[in-house]
Amino acid sequence: MDYRNPSVSFFSILTIIFILCSIVIIPQISAVEYPINVWPKPTTFLWPNPIAILLAGNFTISAPNHRYLTPAVNRYLRQVLTEHHLPLVNPPLNLTSASQLNTLTVIVADVTSPLTHGVNESYTITIPYSGSTNAILTAETVWGAMRGLETFSQLVYSNPSRVASGLYISDVPLFVHRGIMLDTSRNYYGVNDLLRLIKAMSMNKLNVFHWHITDSHSFPIVLPSEPELAGKGAYGESMRYTVADVKNVVEFGMEYGVRVVPEIDMPAHTGSWAEAYPEIVTCANMFWWPAESQWPDRLASEPGTGQLNPLHPKTYQVVKNVVHDVATMFRDELYHAGADEVVPNCWKTDPSIQTFLSKNGTLSQILEIFVNTTLPYILSLNRTVVYWEDVLLDANIQVSPSILPPENVILQTWNNGPNNTKKIVDSGYRVIVSSSDYYYLDCGHGDFIGNNSKYNQPPGSPQDDGGSWCGPFKTWQTIYNYDITYGLNEAESKLVLGGEVALWSEQADSTVMDPRIWPRASAMGEALWSGNRDEMGNSRYAEATDRLNEWRYRMVTRGIYAEPIQPLWCVKNPGMCNTVH
Amino acid sequence: MDYRNPSFSFFSILTIIFILCSIIIIPQISAVEYPINVWPKPTTFLWPNPIAILLAGNFTISAPNHRYLTPAVNRYLRQVLTEHHLPLVNPPLNLTSASQLNTLTVIVADVTSQLTHGVNESYTITIPSSGSTNAILTAETVWGAIRGLETFSQLVYSNPSRVASGLYISDVPLFVHRGIMLDTSRNYYGVNDLLRLIKAMSMNKLNVFHWHITDSHSFPIVLPSEPELAGKGAYGESMRYTVADVKNVVEFGMEYGVRVVPEIDMPAHTGSWAEAYPEIVTCANMFWWPAESQWPDRLASEPGTGQLNPLHPKTYQVVKNVVHDVATMFRDELYHAGADEVVPNCWKTDPSIQTFLSKNGTLSQILEIFVNTTLPYILSLNRTVVYWEDVLLDANIQVSPSILPPENVILQTWNNGPNNTKKIVDSGYRVIVSSSDYYYLDCGHGDFIGNNSQYNQPPGTPQDDGGSWCGPFKTWQTIYNYDITYGLNEAESKLVLGGEVALWSEQADSTVMDPRIWPRASAMGEALWSGNQDEMGNSRYAEATDRLNEWRYRMVTRGIYAEPIQPLWCVKNPGMCNAVH
Repeated sequence: MDYRNPSVSFFSILTIIFILCSIVIIPQISAVEYPINVWPKPTTFLWPNPIAILLAGNFTISAPNHRYLTPAVNRYLRQVLTEHHLPLVNPPLNLTSASQLNTLTVIVADVTSPLTHGVNESYTITIPYSGSTNAILTAETVWGAMRGLETFSQLVYSNPSRVASGLYISDVPLFVHRGIMLDTSRNYYGVNDLLRLIKAMSMNKLNVFHWHITDSHSFPIVLPSEPELAGKGAYGESMRYTVADVKNVVEFGMEYGVRVVPEIDMPAHTGSWAEAYPEIVTCANMFWWPAESQWPDRLASEPGTGQLNPLHPKTYQVVKNVVHDVATMFRDELYHAGADEVVPNCWKTDPSIQTFLSKNGTLSQILEIFVNTTLPYILSLNRTVVYWEDVLLDANIQVSPSILPPENVILQTWNNGPNNTKKIVDSGYRVIVSSSDYYYLDCGHGDFIGNNSKYNQPPGSPQDDGGSWCGPFKTWQTIYNYDITYGLNEAESKLVLGGEVALWSEQADSTVMDPRIWPRASAMGEALWSGNRDEMGNSRYAEATDRLNEWRYRMVTRGIYAEPIQPLWCVKNPGMCNTVH
Repeated sequence: MDYRNPSFSFFSILTIIFILCSIIIIPQISAVEYPINVWPKPTTFLWPNPIAILLAGNFTISAPNHRYLTPAVNRYLRQVLTEHHLPLVNPPLNLTSASQLNTLTVIVADVTSQLTHGVNESYTITIPSSGSTNAILTAETVWGAIRGLETFSQLVYSNPSRVASGLYISDVPLFVHRGIMLDTSRNYYGVNDLLRLIKAMSMNKLNVFHWHITDSHSFPIVLPSEPELAGKGAYGESMRYTVADVKNVVEFGMEYGVRVVPEIDMPAHTGSWAEAYPEIVTCANMFWWPAESQWPDRLASEPGTGQLNPLHPKTYQVVKNVVHDVATMFRDELYHAGADEVVPNCWKTDPSIQTFLSKNGTLSQILEIFVNTTLPYILSLNRTVVYWEDVLLDANIQVSPSILPPENVILQTWNNGPNNTKKIVDSGYRVIVSSSDYYYLDCGHGDFIGNNSQYNQPPGTPQDDGGSWCGPFKTWQTIYNYDITYGLNEAESKLVLGGEVALWSEQADSTVMDPRIWPRASAMGEALWSGNQDEMGNSRYAEATDRLNEWRYRMVTRGIYAEPIQPLWCVKNPGMCNAVH
């Protein structure tokens, strides 16, 4: 069919006009709580007379043919016809006696836009409540269309399926980068876990899966040019990601509108490389923090030592192969090259580095050698590089900003809350926010270090943060309320691309992945999509509670084991679980 | 067969002598770490020459016929033949060339002992290293035999199945009451969740499932004499426990050697009763903490108000029916009657109570009326009553010890760490320890109260305990190291029956049950079974780490989603993840 049929647009305009007219008549509408909600809350949601309409038994979604949009359309069609979601609180919605909804017509302005950083994700939805049996979804790109399909699916409920009708939604995200970082090195996650993660991200309109693939603990990804890295560095044969696995994950992401950004952390966090190439890794397999040494003299910031040796020529041979393979397997323009937590004493264990230092060289010069040599490998493959902020802001070992071109380099912040965000943008770099004070999902859950006497104090001793370096636990409210542009002016804020919640896996694996991530990542999802404030600029965490509760429940019924945020009683008794103090 | 065949005993003695002789030759043996471990660590585990022997393909377990032991034997036989567990660290164990193990013979001294509070759970296991193809398990009771079968199953590994051999185990718990409390009122758990919980408890030699069935939020248990309580008070038709469900849970517990102790909390925490009987509940469905009132003036300690009215005659008619039904459905001699957190202002909303108070009556007198009337209902059914400590120790409303006969009443402590434990035993009562400072599994995970501005402070504001009243998170180490008889003399310690970790369900349900409970409940399990110190009286949390890590992994392969405590790397590199500071 001609998906730009002008008659469709004509109808659409009529409906919007009708809805807008209703709004003029009922001016207080924007403050009304709706009986059906979408998570994250759309930017504009106009629903002057909340009613529902039945979905026709032969309901269809018509959309342009597209390699990735078409599977999404098929998936959402199946979902709206079979999900039959029953909300916790039955929506007080009358069913219109008008005819059923027959079609959702998806109109995409530019079907050729690839899924890139900053791609247009806006869309509009118009669902008529009388006079027509067609709903319209318009979007600039197929990726925006996918966001709109998710929204449409959340408006459908009950058995037989009903859909909210007589409404107009216009939606566009505040931030272009809305991600989740998952560490698959400290503990392994199966490919099915990663696919389920992507699926849940798409439900929450998150668009970047930052895959922290390797670290000192294991090297799970099989690289064709360097098969020994996983061959010897993975936890075991059943705990590797093959080329086919990666392709599966990346393609799955495309069908869900989720980009997959790989991270191969280096030069620190590379102990696992030493299983295949001991000669290029300094201090590998040494005890992380020797007795009687001070914290600055540690060999790593946690157990699992090893840093690539920038002075060993073989290092670059391996790194070049790794970068080439990874950039081939992952098509995204962003490539995360790590560069966090380079620890002085690890490098100092190496004789060649000792010689370099004895000739008045510095550790920062060594890191500059590494970055200067390896950054071109990545840039030459038309990638934008993401580094952790440490590469610039570490107190002991850092490079000069002159070797990090801001047009090609993005920094990801994790320390020091809004202060480091500001430092980074004030240095002219774009920034991705993963403040450990707000966005680290592993915090507040104890620690994994063995033989630690701090848990064996006499009763009455303060338990402090329970052993977690970044405790307490970051609640969904803490995450929801964090303003990632806090303290920045408008120009500075423009360099803030977005944020990522991060799940480091010292104490996580597939047994806890879902509840550790959801619904807390949903909280970030809404904050970065449409914000954490209402139209009046007031914090909306209070009204978000019931909506998130319903949404968490719906995620569970969709197969995502999101953790509960309240007793069920609270959802069924709105307002009764609040505090007014 | 005659399971007391003297020739078995004769062989058994010979084997023990042989093993003991070996120990004299190798006197340092007790400090040796074994390649295969049992969780919780047995009291006595002698294995002078660690080797393994194949389990014969036609391996059998011979045991006396018994209603509950026989299903356990069949279950464990299937398990040792099919589990084929592969430890994370391959045990450095030679396989003996001697013949295979053909039989485990289970010898029970008294097959008639019931599964009661304090039943003898001791057992011994002898697995020969050569010269015989029979292993022997002796126990005083079938419940001890079930504990021994679990131990035996943990000694079996690999494919084809091998078993540790040439060893002697003699095992007996330090504390008779080792439990888990689960709250099924604030959020619902399916029967399958409860069965899986019992299964995992048995793996960890925990013996009491304390089922906090009802609270203010929902009343999920269907009682034949009072069907309206669940009919109107449950969250929904699919969220109830029927009589058949309860029977299923209780019988399942018997087959796993786990007692099920029901708790119907009263007189507070009864808001859900008001759906069926509004007239007997004071302050039901009122806002929990009215604006502009102080904390002492709250109506409940959390959202969900309602307390039974001890001055209303109908209250006792309902309570009597409830007690009768619950005592009929649950056969255990312990009956938990709640009695925590009676809040003054809830009762004060009621006119009859106001009148009573105006005539110089006190709230404590009202509680005494309630306890004096309802305690006999329970005692008359030959039950021992467990109350939360509040009934005696609450600062505002409490009863005189004179109405709580110590021979019939056990108190469960949750406040104030070891201080309240001591207060209780010094008052002559037996005590079950659930200190919220150590044993509350829900702590450190934020809070569920809506509209709370404490999560919306400017960056840099201390996050304190992240909103959790009992934060931080109680790590497995914190739980493992707690000495529940801290500060008590020997006579006082005798009144400490044991402990229970508790999962309150404001922010928990089936999506997170397994990882919230395991392996932290395993940590308590070992501390209460064989202690948290080694033979020299030193804390053994350090060496427990690797053992717990292996055990957690085995629980996962057995279908229990226990959370990881370390990167897998740590298990594979023993000692490398420790602290030496």
